[in-house]
Amino acid sequence: MKQISRMTMGELGAYVSSHLAKRGIKVVLSGGACVSIYSTNLYRSDDLDFIESGSSARKQLKQALEEIGFKENHRYFQHPETRLFLEFPPGPLAVGREPVKEVVQKRYSTGILRLISPTDCVKDRLAAYFHWRDLQSLEQALLVCSRNQVDLREVRHWAKSEGMADEYAKIVRRFQLLQGRPVKPGK
Amino acid sequence: MLESLFGSKNRERVLIFLYCRREGYAREIARFYKTDLDPVQKQLSRLEYGGVIASRKAGRTILYQLNPRYVFSAELTALLKRSLEFLDKPERDILSPVRTRPRRKGKPL
Repeated sequence: MKQISRMTMGELGAYVSSHLAKRGIKVVLSGGACVSIYSTNLYRSDDLDFIESGSSARKQLKQALEEIGFKENHRYFQHPETRLFLEFPPGPLAVGREPVKEVVQKRYSTGILRLISPTDCVKDRLAAYFHWRDLQSLEQALLVCSRNQVDLREVRHWAKSEGMADEYAKIVRRFQLLQGRPVKPGK
Repeated sequence: MLESLFGSKNRERVLIFLYCRREGYAREIARFYKTDLDPVQKQLSRLEYGGVIASRKAGRTILYQLNPRYVFSAELTALLKRSLEFLDKPERDILSPVRTRPRRKGKPL
């Protein structure tokens, strides 16, 4: 087994995720760590936000993580061998107000990582851009779009359901260009 | 009013305050309800951890607001709006938003 100190974010995520699954705790990676993975570390995040699918007790989670050397510090879990840390925000697993429908599995030498899809990752970043006017989040969404297949039709539907259709219309061209889609004149 | 649902009087107060005033800081909320700072801070912290509210820094003050990204944001807002109908008019009036638009420094008002 690879040393924790040498694990990439994806490898560590897979290691933790697989270990927790063995203990009956199913988690899905969300947030900035997914941007990091989908952008092959062009965006760097130090925290892994796992959302639990079920509802196990915090004590059970803590115990399982202690078995692989993670100690709870306030609401985070840290390991002496890595700067990366874990967080388990309360669910549900959602992008904006919509539940996440598809979970992607990525296989690493350290285990299997369950994470939100590139399309949901884009939606997640766009939610931050729409609601907080956070330009960094928009850049992250574009970064994910530039390196992965993203269902822009699905993103458009989602933006509409979030009441952000007009906001999305202002930026959609940038996403279409990245996905190599023909851009209609005037759109 | 919503205490039995939210599980704490101060949690209800914090949410109603943030719904009415759009944003606020711990000491301001505690002063408004004439209560101790500590329980208000605790509720703010819990609500933020749960993603219900979000914070930003303004100088040395941490300002909180209802989190528009919270998955049940629309439902929570509807519930808080409905609960206001049951408040006495004087209480509703003092909870109405305070001036947030700029005021030129030195203006004699």
